[in-house]
Amino acid sequence: MTESKPTDKHTSIPLPEGYLPTENKVLSAVTEIAKGMATVISHVGREPVTEEYPEVMPEMTNRFHGRLSLLAKSDGTDLCIGCKACAKVCPCDDLIQIEMHRDGDKKPVIDQFTIDMGRCIFCGNCTEVCPVDCIKMLPDFELADYSREALVLDKFDLTLKGNESDEWRAAHDLVPTV
Amino acid sequence: MAIPQLELPEKPGFSSLQGVTFDQGLSTEDMVINIGPQHPSTHGVLRLVTTINGEIVKDMEPVIGYLHRSKEKMAEGRSYFQYQPTIDRVEYLSSFFDHYAYVTALEGIANLKVPKRVQYIRVICMELNRITSHLLWFGTFLLDLGATSPFFYAFRDREAIFDLFEELTGARMMYNYFRFGGVNADMPVGWLDQVRGVINELPARFDEYEAIATKNPIILDRCLGVGLFNLQDCLDYGVTGPAMRACGVDNDLRKTQPYSSYEDFTFDVPTESVGDVYARYKVRMAEMRESLKIIHQALDNMPGGDTAEVKKIQAEVDVVANEIKEAQKRVALAKKQEQEPVAADVTLAEKTIPVINADWQTYGQKVNLMTFKPPAGEAYSQVESPRGLLGCYVISDGTPKAYRVKWRGASFSNLTILPSLMIGNLYPDLMAIFGSLDIILPEVDR
Ligand code: SF4
Ligand code: SF4
Repeated sequence: MTESKPTDKHTSIPLPEGYLPTENKVLSAVTEIAKGMATVISHVGREPVTEEYPEVMPEMTNRFHGRLSLLAKSDGTDLCIGCKACAKVCPCDDLIQIEMHRDGDKKPVIDQFTIDMGRCIFCGNCTEVCPVDCIKMLPDFELADYSREALVLDKFDLTLKGNESDEWRAAHDLVPTV
Repeated sequence: MAIPQLELPEKPGFSSLQGVTFDQGLSTEDMVINIGPQHPSTHGVLRLVTTINGEIVKDMEPVIGYLHRSKEKMAEGRSYFQYQPTIDRVEYLSSFFDHYAYVTALEGIANLKVPKRVQYIRVICMELNRITSHLLWFGTFLLDLGATSPFFYAFRDREAIFDLFEELTGARMMYNYFRFGGVNADMPVGWLDQVRGVINELPARFDEYEAIATKNPIILDRCLGVGLFNLQDCLDYGVTGPAMRACGVDNDLRKTQPYSSYEDFTFDVPTESVGDVYARYKVRMAEMRESLKIIHQALDNMPGGDTAEVKKIQAEVDVVANEIKEAQKRVALAKKQEQEPVAADVTLAEKTIPVINADWQTYGQKVNLMTFKPPAGEAYSQVESPRGLLGCYVISDGTPKAYRVKWRGASFSNLTILPSLMIGNLYPDLMAIFGSLDIILPEVDR
């Protein structure tokens, strides 16, 4: 029977000479563990980095991708022109549904505008193509609800008031549309 | 009594394992165990059907596909811009790289120019993303080996970088920020200084990690000389990225085929010669420091500087341009009414309308994202992602939808080497070896 000794732990690629430590490991182990422990202990008493959500609400940034909303004109009337560009670029099929007709002066009237927030992936595609800067994202991220149906927001849920829309535009350096 | 020998199955093509036998004191029966799909150390859903004899792995077969979401097929039913956000979900730890590969492929087909400022922003994003990805790897790798504290430290620092990303793109992980020929929006005012603040802190943090882990005797015992493979194996299995550089090759696309202005930056490609778990660990730790160097240079040399300055110059240019346009209008009106235009207006109207430096813009040539229709053609773009070579191949047939999109993910190729590394190895080494390959399962399954 021949003795077969693996050259290192189990594979046949030879390790370079002197790669594995050969000297007494105890001393280096003790100093290295002490060093590691000292580093860990130095963290005792430092300021916590965690946030106390939900007691303290975090400040979301300006560009945060949160709940979708429809901005209104300053006087509170609809800004959306029903072009359906947002629905066209949305990666999820039929997520945005718009029903509209044109009144006597060929002005668009939005009858219904629903967004299924339960299927939205918060990509922001829709906000980018809107020609009148109507569909936008709010810094609102608490969207959980008890049923899927509750997540389907209609035009009433989505549309912001005139003054809210103006605030949003002011915060984002957008020129208000009258 | 003769000691029974455990014969290893011959695995053709794997150079390092042929003819290896092990002395076994006791012969035990083979046992098949399933590791995963729901296993804390598989970083996703991977199932490893493992045959073990005692502590020694005799056979291993990865079963993949649990996270398959038909990412490539999805491209064929969606317009180019519609498809873009779904890329984020493939490799969610470093999705800037996937976006970069996709966007550059299309820029190649449509022949779009990318301004210098955009290239620099992309570099900053990608290098920060490399750091977050490596930090997550560092935390989970050590967690697999049994160390808990580094995980929390790594996540703390990762969070600081994610805050920067949130400020820039609006999302922490699903960025959807790069666009064909540009970026979604310019940086927020003061973002560069925020980045500087965060990355100035990081070297001290890296020192902290290294103090905890790099020379720790348990880490050394579990990593040194474990999971060895060499350059030949890398070539055979298509292993790329830090795992390949740990075998002594300084193959890095950022150096060999500089893209996105990487040729402007001086940095080293960290390599190690041995090719074991420890070498891969050291390469990644060194890579994070190199990324910091690149970010520092990009911040200092950002064309146009901070957004506030660009905005100020833009406003000045706009005033002059407006004046000229007004004058032109007045001249045209006067000509229409057959009057003599004011002399001052005529000289003003003949001036060229000034534009801001082309390098400072966030778009080379703005495309209409909704109707973006590149000409028929095909392009392949590749990028050095934190896990290795990431490629994206797009064929366009001139319609708004891609004819075919093919992804080459580094994780898939890096995973294929795992069974060969494990066969004949000790079962407890699995977590060290698997963790060191830094695989992300959504990218394997796509
Ligand atoms: S954010 Fe994205 S997924 Fe959500 S509605 Fe807009 S385009 Fe669709
Ligand atoms: S893109 Fe804007 S204007 Fe057009 S339908 Fe959508 S919300 Fe209305």
